[in-house]
Amino acid sequence: MKVKKTIAGAFAVLAVLATTACAQNSTFGGSSSSSSSSKVAIAVMYPETGQYAEYGKMFKQGLDLGVEQVNGKGGVKGKSIELKYYDTQSDPKQTAAIAPKIASDSSVVAVVGDYSSGASMAASPTFQQAGLVHYGFNNSAADFTSTGDHVWTPQYSQDDFQAQVADLVAEKAKKISAVYIENDWGKAAYAAFKKEALAKGIDIAYESSFLADSTDLSPILIPARDAHPDAIVHVGYGPDGALVINTLRDKLGYTGPFYGGQITNEYITTSGKNGEGTILMAPFTTDTTNPNAQKFVKDFRAKYKIDPGEFNQTSYAAIIDLAYGMNKTSPTRAGVQKALQTVTDFPCYVGNKTTFSFDQKTRRMSSTSFLKLQLKDGKFQVMN
Amino acid sequence: MIDTLITGFMHGNAYAIVALGMSLIFGVSNVANFAHASVFGIGMMSGWWLGSVLDLPLIPTLLLVMVITGVIGLLLNTLVVSPLTGRPAVAALLATIGVGMILDNISQMMFDTPTRTFPALLPSHNIEMLGVRFGTSDIVMLILTVIIMAGIWFFLKHGKMGQAIRATSQDTEAARQMGIPVKRIQNLSFVIASSLAGIAGVFVGMFNSNVSPNTGSSVGMTAFIAATIGGLGSMPGAVAGGFTLGIIESVGVYIFGDGAHDLITYGALLIILIIRPNGLFGGKQVMHEPMAGSFSGGAKAYRIPKWLAPILIIAAAVSPFLASDYFSSVGIQIMIYAIAAMGLTLVSGSAGQVALGQAGPIALGAYTSAILVGRFNVPFLIGVVCGGLVAAVLSGIITFPIWKLSGHYIAIGTIGVGAVTVALIRIAEPITKGSLGITGIPFPKIFGFTLFTPQFQYIMVLAFLLIELAIIMRIRSSHLGKVIESIGNDPVAAESIGIRTSAYKALAYAIASFFAGIAGALMAHQYTYIDPSMFPFAMSSLVLTIAVLGGLNSPIGTIIGAIVLVGSPELLRFMSSGRIIVYGVLLILIILFRPQGLFAKKE
Repeated sequence: MKVKKTIAGAFAVLAVLATTACAQNSTFGGSSSSSSSSKVAIAVMYPETGQYAEYGKMFKQGLDLGVEQVNGKGGVKGKSIELKYYDTQSDPKQTAAIAPKIASDSSVVAVVGDYSSGASMAASPTFQQAGLVHYGFNNSAADFTSTGDHVWTPQYSQDDFQAQVADLVAEKAKKISAVYIENDWGKAAYAAFKKEALAKGIDIAYESSFLADSTDLSPILIPARDAHPDAIVHVGYGPDGALVINTLRDKLGYTGPFYGGQITNEYITTSGKNGEGTILMAPFTTDTTNPNAQKFVKDFRAKYKIDPGEFNQTSYAAIIDLAYGMNKTSPTRAGVQKALQTVTDFPCYVGNKTTFSFDQKTRRMSSTSFLKLQLKDGKFQVMN
Repeated sequence: MIDTLITGFMHGNAYAIVALGMSLIFGVSNVANFAHASVFGIGMMSGWWLGSVLDLPLIPTLLLVMVITGVIGLLLNTLVVSPLTGRPAVAALLATIGVGMILDNISQMMFDTPTRTFPALLPSHNIEMLGVRFGTSDIVMLILTVIIMAGIWFFLKHGKMGQAIRATSQDTEAARQMGIPVKRIQNLSFVIASSLAGIAGVFVGMFNSNVSPNTGSSVGMTAFIAATIGGLGSMPGAVAGGFTLGIIESVGVYIFGDGAHDLITYGALLIILIIRPNGLFGGKQVMHEPMAGSFSGGAKAYRIPKWLAPILIIAAAVSPFLASDYFSSVGIQIMIYAIAAMGLTLVSGSAGQVALGQAGPIALGAYTSAILVGRFNVPFLIGVVCGGLVAAVLSGIITFPIWKLSGHYIAIGTIGVGAVTVALIRIAEPITKGSLGITGIPFPKIFGFTLFTPQFQYIMVLAFLLIELAIIMRIRSSHLGKVIESIGNDPVAAESIGIRTSAYKALAYAIASFFAGIAGALMAHQYTYIDPSMFPFAMSSLVLTIAVLGGLNSPIGTIIGAIVLVGSPELLRFMSSGRIIVYGVLLILIILFRPQGLFAKKE
């Protein structure tokens, strides 16, 4: 009973406290005033460690290159950009915890990242309340920007993209088997693909999702092969794409066309000979015809001595675009938001267009075009 | 269909060869070695490095890998497992989870993160049969599995050292008295088992062909389930379990698709354990006390002086208004995990049952409240309480058959329950939106007032925590609490005076799940977005570890455990990439030096 009394007493105190606290009216994130120092910061939430560390590494390469170039050209309105990295392991418990720390750091004018939508969206509400732009350059989830008007993503809509993929498949195949990764992105992407594929009259003879950590996909690829499709379609990422094509070619003796994989060195090297001939649709490739992207590829190779992939490109472009916007407005939180709302000629690194603007309703990149690519001689090359 | 069976058989062989080492360690040291998966992973990655970077052929690669993993095994036993001898089994279990965390991170730092191709040390796709191709490597792996199984079996049965190993595993104390050098025997079995993990790494690497430092943990977990299905400690069981699971998975996935993979794997585990509580080949376990038993028996929670309690509570309530928003947001995470873990002082503390699947009830609470409040506009507080109730009822039902099991089978059974719960949420797409996740979950709103600042949320979560603390302390001091405690202290005596132990364990678990569900609901409204991937096994092991580190007999200790385990990754942020390793070391040190928990004294 003693315990009960003590706790009851404490509650009384608490109640008083809570009421006095109301008066204080503090908000998430504190003030958003700009500082007058010579630097502005962009905060990065990314997986430096943990199971997504490979993506974190690719992000960092792109981001670092972007900042180096912006600062080399005088920064934004005379201030240099500094990146503040926060390792989150792409874990929502960690992004939610770190978000107020970022929001209350008045040198931060924008936040980029995280890798997964779950981790990103756990932090968005805090940034929204603080009037700080959350620029989720990797977050293509359909509802990502729904948290509020300060949440943006340069990711094109999966509906547009997958519809074009389905059109590409329909050019050659009437009957397909399809496998897709079981997560928020894969599910939405496949639904969009399927809708267009059915509209084009494609017969989907077999379909199954797969979990990201499955190590043997034969049990779904055997029926996929046995459905005698004109082509097999994979919607997913590099490592699982390589597993799918390696299993199909090495274990199951499938020789038909394959649509899928991903433009990463990881996919190209782990699929090796089996990956040759892989067809996919992509916003970016190292042989791109887009002049902005060509320059990026050249600079990236010079700095890192390897070919950039899509994750390098999106993270690089995030910095370039935010800097471009701030130069048109001001290097402040409000400036970033205003730039995303008003600037209509952000440098574009995807597809064929050289500039893009944001669709103000969805806060995503307005529609863009994509490249049709085929893996030949260890490189994704533009198809004619 | 025959081709599916062949691939299932081959994949099962990969599980079997990993499961053998796990079963050997379990048989000799009675330790569920969760680090085995990571040792296997390091074997795989060093095999990749030796075979492709150094271009060594098969035999030298195998020998070097065996040396590397054997040394890791020896260190694992001498530094971590052996010092925990005589302590409750849950201590060693959690310590090996910590070691696994460290090894996985070291592997990532040493070998880098990308997925890559394992070198073809043997031809791996040169034989075609009935529509599938496999290779010399698969045949060699099959022969090796059989040889290793028979070799160990023969060695244990007839070798002098082997007989000593068996004697040690049956009764460590008696063996010691008969002059058997128990320490050396246990070292030996860790070295053998870990070298086997290395060999398995090389062959499974060739089988999978694509490897990364993450592969170890996913294959290793399934192999653990295979060893459990076969019967922990049994060599033929490990092999039979591996093949059984491989075939069940491939046939199940063939029929239902790979999206149901977890449901098939963990569902098979639960069904087999319900039918055969000691696995396919396991003998009846001799378990004198529950896994967590002496955690409560040997320790007594510190008491907070009467005058200090209100001061602490006021300090906790005032501090967010004096500190930064960051303090509040970290505080919220800490308190939510404390809420999730505190109930375990009844299940694992009083009743002595290790529960490693709390991500299940947490997910149920999160989804219930997210759907009720978000879709049906139910008031926030009602949504949260319903989250707790649904978690208590559903988790209670799914977990009920588990309480008939004993010892480690309960721990692994609860892992299965946690995974099955999340897999069911993934599949129940019309209700839960499956993998797409639920977005736009409303912020907490009490009596029409939205708690939009971290300080308000902090106070609200603190209120939940204190209410739970009061309820749990009241239960522990009540008649019900004493009954539950009697089960933990002496299950046989409890049964003999007419206590239905299964029913009380289930009741204790339902209470713990109720609060885990509340924690999940609070989480959902704080993150505003949830999807099934946010409730992994790592969450379950974190929750149990919080309860154990704080002191299983001390509800207040849970809060301290949460401060250390959820707070320290934030405090360690300055050291960047090494922080998870330091975190793992910290975890192990606490288990080694404060086995009774941070907030309890030894009796």
